[in-house]
Amino acid sequence: MPVLRAALIAVLLLLPLPALAYDILVLQSLHEKGYDEAVRGARRGSNATMRTLVLSDYVETDITRIIREEHPRVIIAVGERALAVAEKARNVPVLYMMALNPRIRQGVTGVAMLLDPSRYLSVFNSMGVQKVGVIYDPNRSGAYLRRAQFAARRAGIELITREVRVPKETPAVLESLRGKVEALWMIPDVTAVSPASTEAYFLFSQSQGVPVVTFAEVYLSMGGAVSLGIDRYDIGKQVGEMAESLLAGTPIDELPPQSPRKALTRTNDGVLRRLKISGTGG
Amino acid sequence: MKKSSRISSYLKSFSFRLYLIFSATIALLTAAFALVYVITESHGYRTTLEREGKLMATILAQNARLPLFAENRDALSLMAADTVRHSSVIEVSIKSAEGQLLTEARSRKEKVGETIDMEVPITSPGQMLSPEAALLGRPPSGENRVIGQVHLRLDTSGVRDQLNNLLIASLAIGTLFWIMVSLLCYQILKRATGSFKLLLAGIEEIGSGHLSTRVDLPGDDELARSANAINAMAASLELRELENLSLQEELLKAMKLEVQEEKKRVMARLIQTNKMTSLGLLLSSMAHEINNPNASIRFSGHMISKIWADVVPLLDRVREEEGDFYLGGVPFKTARTALSENAAKIVENSERIARVVQGLREYGVGDGSRLRPNLNVNDAVTAALSVLACQMKQNIQLKTSLGTDLPVIVGSQQQIEQVLINLIMNAMQALPNACGEVGVVTRFDQKSNEVVVEVQDSGIGIGAETMERLFEPFFSTKLDRGGSGLGLYISQFIVAEHGGRLLLVSEPGQGTLARVLLPAKAADASLGEVVAAKDHQHVADAIHEAR
Repeated sequence: MPVLRAALIAVLLLLPLPALAYDILVLQSLHEKGYDEAVRGARRGSNATMRTLVLSDYVETDITRIIREEHPRVIIAVGERALAVAEKARNVPVLYMMALNPRIRQGVTGVAMLLDPSRYLSVFNSMGVQKVGVIYDPNRSGAYLRRAQFAARRAGIELITREVRVPKETPAVLESLRGKVEALWMIPDVTAVSPASTEAYFLFSQSQGVPVVTFAEVYLSMGGAVSLGIDRYDIGKQVGEMAESLLAGTPIDELPPQSPRKALTRTNDGVLRRLKISGTGG
Repeated sequence: MKKSSRISSYLKSFSFRLYLIFSATIALLTAAFALVYVITESHGYRTTLEREGKLMATILAQNARLPLFAENRDALSLMAADTVRHSSVIEVSIKSAEGQLLTEARSRKEKVGETIDMEVPITSPGQMLSPEAALLGRPPSGENRVIGQVHLRLDTSGVRDQLNNLLIASLAIGTLFWIMVSLLCYQILKRATGSFKLLLAGIEEIGSGHLSTRVDLPGDDELARSANAINAMAASLELRELENLSLQEELLKAMKLEVQEEKKRVMARLIQTNKMTSLGLLLSSMAHEINNPNASIRFSGHMISKIWADVVPLLDRVREEEGDFYLGGVPFKTARTALSENAAKIVENSERIARVVQGLREYGVGDGSRLRPNLNVNDAVTAALSVLACQMKQNIQLKTSLGTDLPVIVGSQQQIEQVLINLIMNAMQALPNACGEVGVVTRFDQKSNEVVVEVQDSGIGIGAETMERLFEPFFSTKLDRGGSGLGLYISQFIVAEHGGRLLLVSEPGQGTLARVLLPAKAADASLGEVVAAKDHQHVADAIHEAR
């Protein structure tokens, strides 16, 4: 009888094993609507089996143990915290998404949250502006600004940049752009664009009569003229397709980090009308 | 004096009391409104000041948000200095969320009154998102984050000045309003009470008896309707008055007429009484004048008879001796008897004249009320018939049947005679064409111990309506023939005075029977009882006594 009981327990313990056999482990930083959208897109982009873990539901050691014990073939990190945890699994390729400032290393690739600068520049082109002011933190957005400068030169647009190190510098820096720019480009830099300083962009836009091109639709209601936002579902789908490539045998080194391939353009017609701007192109 | 009386009258008048009430009410209402207005306005001033301060502090907090975030003290100082220039602001200070004083500005004004401290937090809008949150599509939280605080100190001395000005203005406007409305009320009341005065004057005029007065109030309001009602009442009263006057006049006329009629009747009675008195005196005089020659005639008759008795034997011897001779152209043989008879007739007729005159004297001059203790009714009947002898027409047959064993009664013969004369006269006058029979019967009814006298005629009879009124005074069917309407009335009175009854039985065309029932004298009857009965006077006694 004891033997039978032991056998039964063993069978029961073995039953979940088939379920734990999956290809992709999705590590989600927290329960967040934007993350959920992206994860849904990833599931759409890949047919591989997935298991999703939300970090806020576990302690980090448990996550590490799960990765070590379950041996997923690919990890999709959703958010910067999830990326930080996933990077600890050295032998598993990591795809990130929804990370604003991902630290790139070997074996890690993904889709950034920043649209390609050329998309914004084309909007400026369509608006017919030549001088575009940009405030950024070189530690956070330096690389992105370099790409933007390069693209701007090609597009014939002069980017007048101002660096900020702390958020409280933003209002004063903006004041330094007074009379020197024809448009403001608000990039998703947490130093340059903090909740307290965001208002300064739109006050500047109002006082100087220059449009603000921003990265999220929510800013249009505060005074932004045009927003080029990301499609979180499509980013997830893009990441899912990358995961599918990895599972198909493509080396991760052959998959460089990508920008979101789809941009959602929204305009505030009232602001555009007041600023007498006709075409937004984008 | 007149002026003070007029003022006193005006002070007591309805319009002045109304004016006083209106003025007092308006004054109270004006004061109440002014008070409420001042209180509300003072509260409003304070509220406005607080609101203004709050607004300034809020605007400052809004404007200071970015400089505070950027720790731009110069910008904050400028803002504070700009705000403190406002007249009601004494002090402005801006602090960070940690309580660090970033800037402070004070007004040059000194603190003169109460102050209001106003503190408004400087907040970072909750709708502002971090770039990552914006990219993740996180909705704005809506929760504002406090990053600092603006403090304003406001001076309320301006409120007090404004309140004082408002109080003075309210008092002035209120007083002006009161004066204007009071004047307006005076005019309105004057117009309104004018109708009252007219109405009152009209009522007083009507009340004083001038019912022809009318209150003339135009319009169709309550007063006009009241005036119409009063006019209608006055007209009705006037009509009643006229009717009353007319009735009074008619009554007066009727009374005058009646008095005249009564006067005529009284005068007729007086005339009749006078006539009867004169007749009595005439009768008495006549009796006196007749009795003297009549006594002489009777005496002469007796003398002639006696003389003739003495002369006849002498003359018989002469006739025997000398043969028959003539006396006065008549042979002695004839004259002898005729003279005796004529002398006897002289005496007889003279006695008869004496009886008639005695009867007349007793009727007209005698004491009619004198009661006889042993009155023989047959004597009264005989006396009455003797009085009426000359009234008897040739076509009237008088039949008498006088009882022989009548007991005597206690009574006045003259009054009983008067009764019988009335009844016999009525019987004779009732005969058509003065032709017919009149019967007079006396008898004794032993059963009732009454002496009965019945006068019956074969006349036209009496109708039922007339029968009912026969004993009324002055009722007569023969007024045109000299009837007075008092005969039966007096006769019934006399009979009743004698303790008897007078009954009339008649039917139209069947004649009339008048029956007088007089109580026979009882064996122990005393005269006093009868005399006592006489004391009961009647209105007809005067006439009766006169007779």
